[in-house]
Order: sequence, then structure tokens, then C-alpha cells
Amino acid sequence: MKRFLETGNFAITEGAILAGCRFFCGYPITPATELAEAMAQELPKYGGVYLQAEDECGAMHMCIGAALGGMKTMTATSGPGYILYADPFGWALGCEMPLVVVNSGRVGPVSGITGAPGQGEFYLTRYPTQGGNFECITLAPNSAQEAMAMVVEAFYLAERFRMPITVLGDQLITDGFEDITVPENEDEMKEMGFRTYERGVCTGPEFYPYTDELDIPPVQMGSGHGGLCSDWTPTVEGYDIEEVEAHHKHAWRLIYKVRNNKEVFNHLYEKKYMDDDPDLVVVSYGTPSRVVNTAVDRARKEGLKVGALRLINLWPFPDEHFTRKTKYLAVELNWDGQLVREVERAAPKDAQVNFLGTCGDLPTIPDLLETFEKLLKDQPLERKGWELEAW
Amino acid sequence: MQYSSASLIDKYLRTRKIPSTACSGCGLGINHKVVIQAIDELDLEPNDIIWGTSIGCAGRQTFATWQGDGFAGTHGRVYAIARGLRIALPPEKKIICTVGDGDAFGIGLMHLIHAARSNCDMTVIVNDNLGYQSTGGQFGFTTPQGAKTDSSPYGMFEHNLMSEGMDVMHILKGAGATFLARHVAMDGTRAVDSVKRAIENPGFSLVHMPYPCPTNFGSRELGSRNQVNIYRYIKERAKPMESADDDTVWATGVWHDASGSRPEFSEHVWNSVEKIRRTGAL
Amino acid sequence: MKDRLEIVASGFGGQGVVRLGQVLGEAAVKEGLRVTMLKSHGTEMRGGYVRAQVVLSPETIDSPMCENPDYFVALSSAAYNRFKDTVPDDGVIIFDPAFVEDIDGDLPCTQKELPAKQLAVDNFGRPIFSNSVALGAMAKLLEGDLGKEIILDSLLEVIPKFHEENRDAFQVGYDYMS
Repeated sequence: MKRFLETGNFAITEGAILAGCRFFCGYPITPATELAEAMAQELPKYGGVYLQAEDECGAMHMCIGAALGGMKTMTATSGPGYILYADPFGWALGCEMPLVVVNSGRVGPVSGITGAPGQGEFYLTRYPTQGGNFECITLAPNSAQEAMAMVVEAFYLAERFRMPITVLGDQLITDGFEDITVPENEDEMKEMGFRTYERGVCTGPEFYPYTDELDIPPVQMGSGHGGLCSDWTPTVEGYDIEEVEAHHKHAWRLIYKVRNNKEVFNHLYEKKYMDDDPDLVVVSYGTPSRVVNTAVDRARKEGLKVGALRLINLWPFPDEHFTRKTKYLAVELNWDGQLVREVERAAPKDAQVNFLGTCGDLPTIPDLLETFEKLLKDQPLERKGWELEAW
Repeated sequence: MQYSSASLIDKYLRTRKIPSTACSGCGLGINHKVVIQAIDELDLEPNDIIWGTSIGCAGRQTFATWQGDGFAGTHGRVYAIARGLRIALPPEKKIICTVGDGDAFGIGLMHLIHAARSNCDMTVIVNDNLGYQSTGGQFGFTTPQGAKTDSSPYGMFEHNLMSEGMDVMHILKGAGATFLARHVAMDGTRAVDSVKRAIENPGFSLVHMPYPCPTNFGSRELGSRNQVNIYRYIKERAKPMESADDDTVWATGVWHDASGSRPEFSEHVWNSVEKIRRTGAL
Repeated sequence: MKDRLEIVASGFGGQGVVRLGQVLGEAAVKEGLRVTMLKSHGTEMRGGYVRAQVVLSPETIDSPMCENPDYFVALSSAAYNRFKDTVPDDGVIIFDPAFVEDIDGDLPCTQKELPAKQLAVDNFGRPIFSNSVALGAMAKLLEGDLGKEIILDSLLEVIPKFHEENRDAFQVGYDYMS
């Protein structure tokens, strides 16, 4: 293993190459540009191709094309580019094409501030395209090291589930430097818990079986098996068909291949001080979770019974963590409140769900500690954010 | 045109999709046959070609007709998908995309231009039915000026890509396409010959092929679904390039042939990658 | 060392603020420490404010933010004014008088003047070596946490050009702080 100081962007590049990614297509956008640059630098050394597209929509379509030809592919962007993936994302979901999408969140809406972190795409990674009738898997690392690991994992899940997987980071993860440890061979990868899955070829004649089975290889153009794929509702052979019954079966697969196989990824979370029925559970993901962890450490030293639940697998939302009737606090990098809505939905009806949002910057430890104390003493919160609704 | 439909269908097409669900009198089938005839004359097999299609009449009607592997892209994006696919495919495999005018010259124009820019080996057959017909008949960007459609009830008065001295081919040539031709559906063997040259060009080729839509365009502009009228409408406005005059909308023939003059996209990319891999530099 | 050491460097674009953090971070990795470094800047504007927040620890680092930096290297008045109050009583502000003019004498923390730009000009005729001077000074202050030679090695790795001048400039800064 080698260990050095690098950015999350670089760590993601290492992860992608370890996972077998040999095609990257992107479009320059802060704070994901350095990831594209690192790919341009590194991929050719491994016989891989870096391409720069005319826009993000073209970028993801080119990834689709290369994936359709049998390559493991990745694209990366920030919020304003992720929204342009809507078109190809739907195609890749419907045609069940494996690929990995990295989104480094910055504060929005629209262009916002390029150099400030944000978490405005929580729901967008669940609904990255129109039409509904599909399920998504989203992984949200909170460090450069974990970003590498989650990109490797995303490639693994993409292959097994035959779908695009989003790795949702933020500006601090991708742009920030951190000491990273990179495995140098397969044994070291296994030692670090990295899982990989080889691309197979669907030989037909059933290219879209109406089941919730995993590990069905994707259609591959040029393989000579008469494979078909389209944006239309498919028959099992891939013909386009306008029949609601066929669409029911197709939609059922897109939803339940994920929902019925959650055990493949639902271990991806982190719990801290959660074994003694804490009076307050702080829920977060991505970079804010690191500040939360530090704040919870301090709160425990001060005798406050606070626990931290960090989600790594965001979608499908892991409802199983929210069965206890207690107080919850969702901490996220937006003022409108996204994660908190899902916590409210998942938590018992009489649980108290609270929100602490920041806009463009991380929450501070004093703010977090003050919020913990107030919530534990049943005092009202005065911070801006969720209360903005009352403005 | 000498055309033995039955044998070509057996050899290249999926019987499940033939006959197609196209409207009565639709000219798309003629264009489709021109392409299949060209493929046959080049002695290509179903597995030599990956067939891409777009959204709209042209795409939907030709999707999954090819016996070999086939894909349909989202609206306007099939060129970007084909570029990515080109990187992954062995160079001897051909990509043919049958698309519509709205797809190529409207929503997909930017992706099309970049496919031309990179000289990506693919043959794009733009089946131009003079507008957006699968949505009921609205004007497109190559619809003849003055034409009445559902979205131009007073006549299409905007500047477009096929009038007032403008020709969409200028854009494609300027972008770097290495083979460009135009034929109307009735051009027969002349069209077949051009499509053959397009397929043989190891680079970006496009053949623009206006064809008659009696159902929507014909009924709105010509006041009748009688297919004779729309066939005559197109025939009157098309002339070989050598004899084109001011009334000609579609000058037909090989518009630009620079076949093999520039390195092909995927070959160029892979050669560059291989050089960097071996020597660390270009 | 303590279980968490925070270093903030801030100035304007082009001064090498991120580079400075990167060298210290790289040295810490070589010492077997865990490291995080956030860089914030207006990405499309040269001359905007730039900040590097470095955290060093023998353990896994949770929050990468420097809320109470042990060391604050101030390379512009704007940066000084913005972050001076975050430095705790036992913290140290290192400021370059070429860029930071008005010093707040009421601060409880230690403040050390480091005329890095002037030293670079006096010794090498060029201000570009002021960053290496500052790193030398930091090496003195961080003695016991990070080895001087390890910081120098990292400096030479991160900045591949002008090794001799950078080595000398590093020593100038180290001696100045001694």
C-alpha cells in the first residue's frame, strides 16, 4: 500500500482505476474539474480513455455508449452538471446500464458559489430523472479515503444491480487534501474491503427478464447476440412495446431489484454512541458528519447522552435505523431541509425530528453543542433554517 | 430501383418489426430500403453493423428492425452515445444511425456537430420528413419556408437551416464531417451509391434524405393526404446539384467527400492512449 | 504531540497559501500522522482570499475545520482581521508585516512578526521564496511535532524547482524564528 497526501478528487480517480474504470467522460466544473484532470492524467497510463464532452448531457451519454460497448465508465460533476444528466440517467436506469456518477455538491441553486460546499441534491440523487417507477442507490462518503472506497463499491453495485450509481460528495471532500492509503494489488484491495465485479455479456434471448434477480450481465452492442436496448418500454427481448402490462413488469424490476436486495449495501452506515439508547440521535451524511462526530464526542464528555448516525447509503433510505422513539436532529448543508424530511417520514410518528441547516459553510461545533443542549432541555431552537418556512 | 424486398428482409431485418407501423403512404420505408440495399451491395453481415436510432418517426420505425445489435437513444443524443460506443467497439464494426430531422438538426445538433468535429466513424442517415410528424406535425429547422404546419398555421416564417442561401451541410462541413450527401427518397440507385460511400468512409458521414409524409405534412401544407401530392412536392423541389436553380430546396448528390482525409476519432484516441501508456508523452 | 493540532494559513491568491499547507500536511503524513487540509477560495478570481485549514493528529480526524487554530499564518490584512479572534490564548499568530499593517495589540494570544517577503528579497532578490522562509519559520515553531528535515524534504518534493534557493530560504526562516 502507498500512503500520501492528496485531494478527494485524486482519491476517487485511484478508486475508479482500481475498480476497472477505463473510460471517463466529463465536462469542466468546479469543484469536480480536478477529478477530470486527474483522470486525463492517470487513465492513459492504464490504457484508459479520457474524453471531454460538449456538455454534461453529452458526457454521460458518451459514458453510456462506452458502457454499451462493454467498458466500465464514470463521469463526474457538480450540481449544475448533475441536472444535465437527467436525460442519460433515465436511459441508463431503463436500459439497465452499469456506470458510476460522481456529484461533488456545491451550494446552490444554479451556479451559486463554486467554492462553497452544499448538499442540495439529496432528493435529486433519488430522482435524477423523470417518470418515476425506478429505485436508485446513492452512496455518500465523508472523506477522501472513503470516497475512494465508495467509488470502488459503486462500480461493484453498478455491475451487480445493472444500473447507474451516484456517489454523492461535496466540495470539501473532493477539493480537500487528506492522507490516503491506496492498495497496490488485489490482495491489498481485499484487505481493505474493496469489492469488484467483472463485466459480463448478456447473450439473450432474454435481455430484460421481469425478475428482481441480480448479477444479470448487461446488453452489449457489438457482441453479436442481437441485443436491443432503447428508451421505450422493453419486452424481455428488448423490443419496444406500448403495453401497460409490459411496463408494469419492467417498472417492477427497476424498483424491486433494488428494494429486494438491500442486504448487498445496507451495511453502509456508521454509528457512534448509539448503544445506550441516546436521548438525541444526530443524523447526517458527508462532510458535516465529521463535524457532528467531533461535536458528539465533546457532548459525551459534557455528559450529554447524544449519539451520531451517519448515513453512507442514502437511497433507498435506510428506514431501519429510525425505529426508536427518541429525539432526532438532522444536520445538513442546506436551509430548505431535505434529509430531515426523510427522517421525519421514517421516524415513529411521535418522535421529535429537528433540523439544523447551514448554507454554504459547515456547522460549527459551538452551534452544534448549543443545539444539542437546547433540544435535550426541550428549549426552542433559534437558528435559521427549518424555521425559514415561517418567514 | 431494382429491389428484391423479400430476400433483403430475410437477410438483414427482423420479421417481427416488418411490416412497420408507419402510416399509409409514408416514405420512410423507401429510405430504409436504400440503406439496406447499400449494406447488401457492400457485402456486410448483420453482425458487422450496430444500428442506432433516435426519437420520432424515423427512429421509432427503424428501431429493432436490424437483425444485429441495435440501440435507441434519448432524443438528440444518439450521436453522443455512438461516440462513446465507437471507443469501445472494434474498428471494423460499423455504426449506422437512422434518425429524424428534428433529432439531428434540432435537439441533437450540438452532439451531431461534435461527432462531426471528432470525425467519429459512423453513418448518420437523416430521414427528413419536413418537421415533427410523430407529435402531429410541427415545423422543424429544415422545413421549407412558408410551409403550413400545426405550429406554423400562417406559414413557417422563421429563418431556418435550409433556406435563404442557408444549408445545414455548411455547418456539418465546417465542423469537420468527412462525407456529406443529400438525396430525396425517389433518387433510387444514386442514393444507394451515396449511402455506400458514406458507410465506407472511415469517419463521420451523413446522408440527408428528405422523404414524404402524407399524413401530417401533406395534409396541412397540401390540404390532402393523397400521397401523390407530397411525392410531387418533394420531387419538384429536389434537383441534382449540377442542375440546381433558385427554386431548388434540396440540391441532391454528394455534397462533400473528404473520405479518409482526417484520422478517425477512435483510432486517433486509441493511438494516442497507447503512445502515452508506452512513452509517457504524445 | 497533542491529539489535535490546527494550522490555518490565509492570504490572497498567488502567495502559495495552499502550497504551504500542503507541505506541512505532506510532512505530517511522513511522520505517520493523519492529516486533513481544506482549501477555500473564490475559484475563478485571482487575488481573492485563500485559506488553508490543516489538521494534524495521531488519530482519525473527524472535523476538518480549524475553529481554534494553534497556529495562524496571516498573509493579508483581510485574512488577519477575519481570523485573528479564532486563535485561542495559547495559540500563535505569525504575520508578515509586508501584508498585515495594523496589529491588534489586545489579542490574548502570542503574535510573532515574520518579515518573510523582506527576508526573501534581501537574501535572494526575489519575493517568490518568501513561502519557503515562512515554512522554515513554521518548522522552528513546530519542533517536537514535525521534524525540520522532514518538512524540508516535503518542501523540496512539492516545489520541484530552485532547490538550492528554497533550501537556503527555509534555513533563513528557521534562523529568524530561533
